[in-house]
Amino acid sequence: MGDSGSPGAWLKSKFEAAHDGVTVKWRTPTSGSSNLTEFVQRARRGASIDADVYVGLNTDELVLVDQKLDSPLFADVHGDLSHVGDLKKELRGLDSKGRAVPYDTGYITSVADATALDRLPTSFDDLASARYENDLLMENAQDTDTGKAFLLWSIHAKGSGGYLDYWKSLLDNGVHVLGTWSAAYKAYTNGEAPIVVSYSTDQVYAANNGENLQKYTVDFLDDQGYANPESAAVFAGSDQRALATAFVDFMLSPSAQKHIPQLNYEFPSTTTGSLSGNFQKYAKVPSKPVTFTYDDLAGKVSGWVDKWARLVAQH
Amino acid sequence: MGGQVGTSRRAALDGDALLARLYVLADAVGARGAFLGTLALLLVVFYFPVGAVLATAITRGAGLSVAPVWETLTDRFYFGVLAGVLSDPQSAPGALLGWASAGFPVVSTGLFGFTAYLAVLGTAGAVVVGLPGAFVLARYEFPGRTLVRSLTVVPFVLPAIMVAVGFTAMFGTHGALNAVVGLVGLHVDVAFTVPLVVAALTFYNAPLVTRFVVAAAETVDARTVETARSLGAPRWRAVLDVVVPQLVPSVLAAVLLVFVFDFMAFPIVLALGGLRLATVEVWLYHLATRLRLSQAASLAVLEAAITLGLTYVYLRYERTGGAGTAAATVERVPLRGGLTAGRVLAVVYAVLAVVLFVGPLASMVAESLTRGGVLSGANYGFLLAQQLGAGGTRPALAVRNSLLFAVGAVVLAVPMGASVAAVTSRDGRVHRVTGALLMAPLAVSGVVLGIGLLQGLVFGVTLFGVHVSVAGPLAIVAAHAVVGYPFVVRNVAPLLARVSDDVRDAARTLGAGPARAFRDVTLPLVAPGLVAGAAFAFAISVGEFNATVVLARSPGQYTMPVALERYLVTPSLGPALGPAAAMGTVLLVVTAASFVIVERLGGRWEP
Repeated sequence: MGDSGSPGAWLKSKFEAAHDGVTVKWRTPTSGSSNLTEFVQRARRGASIDADVYVGLNTDELVLVDQKLDSPLFADVHGDLSHVGDLKKELRGLDSKGRAVPYDTGYITSVADATALDRLPTSFDDLASARYENDLLMENAQDTDTGKAFLLWSIHAKGSGGYLDYWKSLLDNGVHVLGTWSAAYKAYTNGEAPIVVSYSTDQVYAANNGENLQKYTVDFLDDQGYANPESAAVFAGSDQRALATAFVDFMLSPSAQKHIPQLNYEFPSTTTGSLSGNFQKYAKVPSKPVTFTYDDLAGKVSGWVDKWARLVAQH
Repeated sequence: MGGQVGTSRRAALDGDALLARLYVLADAVGARGAFLGTLALLLVVFYFPVGAVLATAITRGAGLSVAPVWETLTDRFYFGVLAGVLSDPQSAPGALLGWASAGFPVVSTGLFGFTAYLAVLGTAGAVVVGLPGAFVLARYEFPGRTLVRSLTVVPFVLPAIMVAVGFTAMFGTHGALNAVVGLVGLHVDVAFTVPLVVAALTFYNAPLVTRFVVAAAETVDARTVETARSLGAPRWRAVLDVVVPQLVPSVLAAVLLVFVFDFMAFPIVLALGGLRLATVEVWLYHLATRLRLSQAASLAVLEAAITLGLTYVYLRYERTGGAGTAAATVERVPLRGGLTAGRVLAVVYAVLAVVLFVGPLASMVAESLTRGGVLSGANYGFLLAQQLGAGGTRPALAVRNSLLFAVGAVVLAVPMGASVAAVTSRDGRVHRVTGALLMAPLAVSGVVLGIGLLQGLVFGVTLFGVHVSVAGPLAIVAAHAVVGYPFVVRNVAPLLARVSDDVRDAARTLGAGPARAFRDVTLPLVAPGLVAGAAFAFAISVGEFNATVVLARSPGQYTMPVALERYLVTPSLGPALGPAAAMGTVLLVVTAASFVIVERLGGRWEP
């Protein structure tokens, strides 16, 4: 996250300007989610963590961390945050143990090419119908944010007892499950299939590049979208707890909330943040956002994902 | 040759004296010394870290246990019907009867069955495309032949995501191929299917077959052909009887390596096929990202059992090529000339090569030159901004690091490979078992190697009260050399097997030490194999990702593929692949230039 004009560079320069003698060092993520798994392995083996704050945590990853470790990797900091009261209502109960601090949020949804389809799908059942055979591109729910959100959304819609039957019909209908979001999105822009699981901010990017917005029509299913907040957390072993907490608090400040989410193509997590320019115009919010909290996912999410993955890989 | 020491010029005397001293040193160290050094390095950066991870597959609780591996073997998801037979052998006859009476329907072979199926297809593709390429390069002389030969290894280093982008642009629904066949009303729909994955595996591995076989063909002894022809055999008969047997070990070596590679294929399968075409290694990677490490380890143990078993079987046949010397190699004929079947094949092959190899590469370059569908320098502007801006991932540093690591890896891998080839080239079961085990860096899951390096070396161990952790540039070079050296071994061993002991002994009787005999007798014959092996070691190093990321000690130790990956996941860039494609193009140009230089340097020792 270190390049200029990125959220990381913005946070670093502003936070260092406000705190004399403090240097923020970003450790560049290796790839995907492997960065967090490295920290879990370090904690398990008693190797040093050497970091104070983790940025970019999903709720289900917090569940995985707790499942693999006996003592907590992250500290409860909610009580020490001055801006925690500004969090949007739906994000306050995200982590009942006060560790994950959501600094932005986004909505995973289906995005469809309205120039290629006469009628866009409006529900989960539509996607499994013959009309949209071979039309859906998505990402692996085992280790991508978008794919996992889409799977969880389908479980929210069909229930933990019915989601596998739904996925059987989706697989019979020719859903493509690619390895990464960029692979799926690239296939989508190449016209391999007209529907992709992506973000509700996709039109912002298209508008910034002067592309035809019809090709990136945000298509909420059943008026829903899966909210996927991105969180920061302070390592329990940090010897700079106060400073680390101040950094996380700073991410929730009104000035940060006006910058960070947009640089990430996401929405502010607080009521004090705001959108500007093309974001204001083209970033879409579903009328019925759904999500699972930490408590909803604990003890269940691994089994859900495992059963889904085995179904897909042998189908 | 070179027996007389020049007396007129001091410089020459000094040079020869130095060389003589080097031979004494080499004789003292010997192949065995180099072999022991290789073993020590392998122990630290491979066997210890990987062994520690694989051990979790054969332990449960505090004690040894076959349970984790057995659970995998008897899981229908992994082994299909075989799992059923293993878990309940008594039910097998009944199940067999039921299967027969149902008219032999297709049975599930599980993830391992599918992986083997894909690997067989990929290997067949590599042989079908690679062998004619070797024939053209070995048989014909044409302008740019050595350049083409140098560039054959290029596909090997390309990151899967870029190859996937190229393949989609070339063979996708709206790709170049469909634009052409669409003119005659046809449409090819191969996106996300097995044929496209097989084509990509062929793209990666056909060059391996070509390169191995060309290296062997360039040392075929022409006199044997002439002898056969003087006895009245027609040309094709002479080639079949004399040349082909000399090439068979190298073809088999290439087939073995390609199969192992295809069996372990992971990023390209993931990028083109997604989870629905998951192989064992794709599945293992996903298990690892979710920290199911002991399950991942048991998959890796079974993968390694299969690939090492095949290596062992192959080694039985490696020494069947017959003896030869590089004294007189077969003359190549000009490509331009009268119409023959061979020349027609060469032209057809050139067209195929353009579609399969140049097409995807050109589309990556095209991607780097466009932004939002129009011609643009914005992606290279991005690279420049990264280079000049503060805190960015600098492309020039990535190029420098890649080249330094690769040169270091080649310098280590070539003697490692040569010494292992020399020591394990003897016949006998012990040598074959050792030979197979020393191929393990190829045969063990790259994902597991990454985990092992992280847990074993980066986290470190406490030895005699001192905490030891291994990381940084030297560790990266060592890891690259370890992953690349098997290529040197497999390129050199078949050629080494053809060095007749008589010739070597004759040199020794004439007073040459082992090192001197090696230079005068053995080296000319194995040089093409050493050069080809060096090229592969270089390519493996440049393309390596997992170990580099894990072992980097400071943020500045990134290579070209790592920089490319970083540009790919920069959220502020949005979904643009252009910056990564621009870095991919830099990678392509730098490695292509490097191969030309490696071969020019290596070519000096070629016959």
